[in-house]
Amino acid sequence: MSRFFRTQGDSDSSDSSDEEEELMSSGDEAAPSRPAAAAPQRKGMDSFLKKPGGGSDSSTSDDASDSDSSDDSDGAEDDGDQEPQQAVRIMSAAERRLVEMEATGKVMENALRINDWIAISNEFDKLVRMIQRQHNVSEPIPPFYIRTLISLENSVNNALAKEKEAKKKTNATNAKALTAMKQKIKKSVKEYETDVNKYNADPEAFEREYNALVVRDAPAVAGATPRATTAPGVEGESPDFTTVGPRGKAMQFSSEGILKNLQGVQEARGKKNTDRAEQIRILEKLLEVAVTSYQRIRVLLALVSSRFDYNSSVATHMPIELWLSAQREVDQLVAIVASNPAYSIQEIIEDYDELKERTPEDPDEKGGIVRIRGSIISFVDRLDDEFTKSLQNIDPHGTEYIDRLKDEKALYCTICRAQAFYENTNQDEPLGRVIMRRLEHIYSKPDAVVQALEAAVDASEIKPNMRLAGQGTTSGLIHALCVYLYKSGNSLLRTRAMLSHIYHHALHNDFHTARDMLLMSHLQESIHSADVATQILYNRTVVQLGLCAFRCGLIKESQATLLDIFTTQRVKELLAQGVHTQRFQVITPEQEKAEKQRQLPFHMHINTELLEAAFLVSSMLVEIPLLASIDSDELKRKAISKPFRRLLDFADRQVFTGPPESTRDHIMQASKALQDGEWEQCRDLIQSIKIWSLMPEAAAVKEMLAKRIQEQGLRTYLFTYAPHYSTLSLSLLSRTFSLPLRAVTSIVSKMIWNEELSASLDQSGGVVVFHRIELSRTQQLAQTIADKVGAMLEQNEKALDIKMGGTGGWGDRTDGNKGEKRGEQTQERRGRGERTRGTRGGARGRGARFAQGLGNEMGSRTG
Amino acid sequence: MAEYDLTKRIMPYLDRHLSLPLLAHLCETTLFALEDVQIAQYELAKGTNMPDYAANLFSQIYPDQEVPQEFEEKRQNTLLTHQRLQDEAQAVLDVIENPDVAQALRQDKEQNLQYLKDNYNLTLDQIAALYHFGQFQYSYGNYSGAADYLYHFRVLSTDNDLNTSAQWGKLASDILSGKWDAALQELDTLRESIDSRSLPGPALTQLHSRTWLLHWSLFVYFNHPAGRTLLLETFLSPVYLNTIQTSCPWILRYLAAAAILSRAPAPGASTRVRNALRELIKVIQMEEYQYQDPVTAFLKELYVEFDFEAAQRELGRAEQVLGDDFFLGEFSADFLDNARYLISEAYCRTHQKIDIRDLSERLNLSPDEGEKWIVNLIRESRMGADAKIDLDKNVIEIFRPAVPVYQTVIDKTRGLHLRTSGLGTAISRMGMGAPQGAAGAEVAVR
Repeated sequence: MSRFFRTQGDSDSSDSSDEEEELMSSGDEAAPSRPAAAAPQRKGMDSFLKKPGGGSDSSTSDDASDSDSSDDSDGAEDDGDQEPQQAVRIMSAAERRLVEMEATGKVMENALRINDWIAISNEFDKLVRMIQRQHNVSEPIPPFYIRTLISLENSVNNALAKEKEAKKKTNATNAKALTAMKQKIKKSVKEYETDVNKYNADPEAFEREYNALVVRDAPAVAGATPRATTAPGVEGESPDFTTVGPRGKAMQFSSEGILKNLQGVQEARGKKNTDRAEQIRILEKLLEVAVTSYQRIRVLLALVSSRFDYNSSVATHMPIELWLSAQREVDQLVAIVASNPAYSIQEIIEDYDELKERTPEDPDEKGGIVRIRGSIISFVDRLDDEFTKSLQNIDPHGTEYIDRLKDEKALYCTICRAQAFYENTNQDEPLGRVIMRRLEHIYSKPDAVVQALEAAVDASEIKPNMRLAGQGTTSGLIHALCVYLYKSGNSLLRTRAMLSHIYHHALHNDFHTARDMLLMSHLQESIHSADVATQILYNRTVVQLGLCAFRCGLIKESQATLLDIFTTQRVKELLAQGVHTQRFQVITPEQEKAEKQRQLPFHMHINTELLEAAFLVSSMLVEIPLLASIDSDELKRKAISKPFRRLLDFADRQVFTGPPESTRDHIMQASKALQDGEWEQCRDLIQSIKIWSLMPEAAAVKEMLAKRIQEQGLRTYLFTYAPHYSTLSLSLLSRTFSLPLRAVTSIVSKMIWNEELSASLDQSGGVVVFHRIELSRTQQLAQTIADKVGAMLEQNEKALDIKMGGTGGWGDRTDGNKGEKRGEQTQERRGRGERTRGTRGGARGRGARFAQGLGNEMGSRTG
Repeated sequence: MAEYDLTKRIMPYLDRHLSLPLLAHLCETTLFALEDVQIAQYELAKGTNMPDYAANLFSQIYPDQEVPQEFEEKRQNTLLTHQRLQDEAQAVLDVIENPDVAQALRQDKEQNLQYLKDNYNLTLDQIAALYHFGQFQYSYGNYSGAADYLYHFRVLSTDNDLNTSAQWGKLASDILSGKWDAALQELDTLRESIDSRSLPGPALTQLHSRTWLLHWSLFVYFNHPAGRTLLLETFLSPVYLNTIQTSCPWILRYLAAAAILSRAPAPGASTRVRNALRELIKVIQMEEYQYQDPVTAFLKELYVEFDFEAAQRELGRAEQVLGDDFFLGEFSADFLDNARYLISEAYCRTHQKIDIRDLSERLNLSPDEGEKWIVNLIRESRMGADAKIDLDKNVIEIFRPAVPVYQTVIDKTRGLHLRTSGLGTAISRMGMGAPQGAAGAEVAVR
């Protein structure tokens, strides 16, 4: 702060502290050049240094001394006095720091005299901070500090010794400050142990060394920066030198000095007081003047990173303009590196001299290749992440979102360019990552969008090998990308590629391929141990698979697949499309933040309402005939789809039902109509659901649903009304449900064959003959108990199987004929389980396990 | 019907020599142009060491051209190689056939090798000569000779790769020389070695081996008298069923045919064979998108759609397909018989009153034949007591009394005791911490 006061006093121009800060920060950045400017006037500085020290003799506080000296300078300038001291003091920030230090030192000496340890302690802290700053700009430690340190150490020891002798007279706070002081000194001395030792050995030599250090830096830069000589004059002449500062600086960016400037910027990076915007501006200018490829690569690397640095907070997204320029610069970078194979950007390389200009012709470079530290892949990754983050933060219903979405094309091109670059240079590891990025942009998109993206890639000058034009179809492209990832060694990428591939198949209604791939990948066994992002992708894939089954008319498969996610009642959360609020659980802010970061951008969402409609309709088609077929209450409790059953019960309890409004209302009323055998009403209700319009090929889906409703209506009707008939004409059934006679016969036969319906067909009369036996209560109970005992034994066997563990099964180990048979049976069962996994049993188990897995994962992450 | 011919799909999984009979069979059918098949045969034969056969084929295809000289050269070469290999192998054979040696040989291969080395100066390299000679013999068509040499080699050699190779070779030789019993034995050992293979090799190689085994075994299973049951046993085991589903769904035709052929399994058959049809139908449904032909379609129409007309239509086509199929050709009539039986069984189970004429039509039979068939059916099947023919109205009436409740209860609880005691044994074997539930179950059963 003190510096602020002073410089403000210095300049009577109206320039705000903004500019001030710029000057200061630029002083930090261009640190190496600073002392240089001061160097010619070393003598003057020395004399000057003494002066304020002497002047502030009487002052007690640092601030006072500051204002004192600034008053001094003001006066001097007003007089138009061209004292060399003046000029020196103004232009060198390093000096100013020194002056401050000296001032602090003085204050400490004074305090020491009156034995005021509190004041000393404060001042010392200040001094340490200053030294720290000095350190930050990588200037050598002034001998003054060391000297102070040593003298302080001595006096502290003395004071402590005195203390011991005369205990009574110490005041408590002072004593405390003294001990604290002792600790601090100890720490500092330790820190600068070598310097202190050197100083102790030969104070003068130390001082000489320091001076030499400062001087040596100077001429090195002096030649390179014309400002070093011109600046003092300019500033001396004009009173408003602060405005000249930036302009003057602009002049100093020549191609020769670039690397130095760059180093300055890089050293300031990540420090507390650096102005990021200013740094970006400097780098942009550096880029303009950069001549050689090497310089441009270096500047671009620094520029892109500083753009990414601009936002320090994790929560907010990068400003869009910055993002766009970063994206362009990454493009530029890739273009340079791709066109100059002699330059190579690598993450791990040997150290090299940052300040040296390097060319491929240089004999020092191995194999004629200049290796530069940096990582294009991480830029691409970051660019993509920032894009996602901005989409997460923009309101998806505004035009801004759409505008932002348009940038995806450019991003996609950048990714493809990076891919092309890595393909040409045969770098497998980053190539895998970049291909994964590319895949993530296209796997969930419809063909038209992918074609648009690919068209943009085709238009650019650097193209990867895998392109839509080469592969013919989007599926071909995705296949090519995925196959590359399958072959690469990274198992995470492999998993994600597999899931994306399955998702893509499901999106294109290729249910069987998608299902086979999912089953063959055995992902369901290991997914609960994967990271959250992959789990989300898995969930999305499974859900898309369910929707795909629905679109293909595979109602049972669809119901079984979607059941898992709906039983959890956390659909949105599991798909990362919204934060779930639990009723009895308060989410900590961190938890919420983590959740938010996981959210998918809106355009990737799977419409949950559509999903629910698909699930409830397929549940209806599966559940309603089932409900009709079971007559005892005992069995009724066994629900296939709990969420659906719950809704249905709720709808049943409703005293008054109005006309349906929501999708759920429609489906519930349709279910009731289906229960009553009113299939036409059911069909109309289902078909009038508006959300179907979001489904591709909506008309075909509706038609399919109508057909299914007819069939299931017939089944429900037969189940419900069988007890009231002894015979039923097939032609009547065919007319009632407007199904062809053959279809009716087929459905009825199937029910008879599967022993769902105790009836038989009379061919000559064209009727169904029902044989119904009323069971007495005792008989019913006997049957129930037999079932239960069987189930219990089954459970016990399973429990034992688990306990014994493993593949062998305990049955195999029991000897004798009986044992063998048992083994056979268990194996049989297991085998069946394996084979039918595709349809329902496995799917359910997998989902349950999985949903929990995610829960655990989140618990452990947040807890 | 050419689109249902599987030769093209099966051939990639067969040995060159095993494919020859398939092509020869194609010559007899009219599915493809004779010339094309002959050219294929010629191309195939060119790669073998049977120059005479190839030359013969060549002159058949191009009667007006002269047989190329290369066959003559090849023939000379073959004879020379034969001579050389035979000499090498003979040395080993002389030793082995010595009765003293035969007696001294034990189970332990290492020991045998040591013994042979010590006493007769036989090394592993020399034994490998047996393998080479066997392979060579196979390549010019002397299959039984090849089988002999490969057998001897396998007894002596410790080289795993060559042993496996010899096993495949022996199987092929046995198949081609028509020794079905030996082939079946060979097949079993080969299957064991594939299944038990815990080699570090990827699962993919195992899948490949299994696919090959599936194809090769068709030769054995459709020629050995008990083959069909064994086929069901093997192909329906989980691993092989998975293999079929993953890499070669067309095998489903043979599986379906075998299941239909062994409709009424022998009393001792395992549950797997008895439930074969039920299992199979599930698989057929699942794989419908990948593969279907009249045989699988027949089963689907009959048991999934219960569309008897469509089933009958498919049966008609299946008959043709079977007639043209290399493996199933001779089972055509048998298949038809069994399929009819299945249709009528399904029909009778869902119907109460059946018009005989209608049923005969369903079965592709004339009314008279149909009546005879039905009477036979009723007589031999278990529904004999329930079905009555009413000649007056020309219908069959089937009365199926419902199963008494007590019977179902008894059926349900039948196995419980056995299974519970199984549980008990297992727990006591574990010797600790018996789960509470098991005891409970036991009580409940008693």
